Amino acid sequence: MKESLLDIICCPIDKHDLELEVDEKDGDEIISGTLTCPECGETYPIEDGIPNLLPPDMRDEVTA
Amino acid sequence: MKEGTDGTADRSVRETYDHIAEHFATTREYPWPEVRSFVAAEVDRLGELDNAIDLGCGNGRHTQLLAENGASVVGADVSHGLLKEGQKRASEREFIARWVCADASRLPLRSDQFTTGVYVATIHHLRPRSARIASLDELARVLTTDGQALVSTWSTEHDRFDETEGFDTLVDWTLPGGRTVPRYYHIYDPDEFQSDLDKSALDTVKMEISSGNCYAVVEPQL
Repeated sequence: MKESLLDIICCPIDKHDLELEVDEKDGDEIISGTLTCPECGETYPIEDGIPNLLPPDMRDEVTA
Repeated sequence: MKEGTDGTADRSVRETYDHIAEHFATTREYPWPEVRSFVAAEVDRLGELDNAIDLGCGNGRHTQLLAENGASVVGADVSHGLLKEGQKRASEREFIARWVCADASRLPLRSDQFTTGVYVATIHHLRPRSARIASLDELARVLTTDGQALVSTWSTEHDRFDETEGFDTLVDWTLPGGRTVPRYYHIYDPDEFQSDLDKSALDTVKMEISSGNCYAVVEPQL
């Protein structure tokens, strides 16, 4: 994902803006990292460049 | 597959699509004609497409259609596996899109930002009914006040169903090699679909039945 996506996305639970922490970048593409909601404290992983913004009750199992 | 809460059911649909993503993508090559018509109508209505959302984008065939018609598109899907297929498709076919893993009934998207929405062949995977209506409310929330969206669902009007009232069922997906993976569906009857739209924050601009699916063009209630 690109950093500009932050202008579009929000926390799925309380719709608050998210804060970005980058682990791995390829040019301006963020490959892995973490999105954090400062309101509820929930964290959302970025995997393969795709933010996983599923509510926590839907992502507690490993994907196939 | 377990019966139960929406969380349980939605996880199952997600896991199923993660499992079948690659094979599923090979069978979902072309945009549906009804979606083509809607996108063409949107180009006429707006002059040019602006921000668009493809909700339940799967492997991105309609995300591509929107992008190629000039939209700045977000493709959202519950399955990470399908989103990776979408990413691959975008890179092979050279279109630009942004991908988000999301639950349709609890969208991680800010309000009032998309002038065009496509939410096709997805709502029938959500349960219970309150989750389906919540997803329509979420669509209304993220559309701009002058936004419109196409919502479709599989329906009892399809030849393979004898039922006349909406019902829940499992439909098998057959992988190469013959193994089957079940997918949950709520098959809507057209009156029931209209009733759920009426319960949501969307107004129906028009509704039609085509190829066994109900299609509604909707806009947010003002």
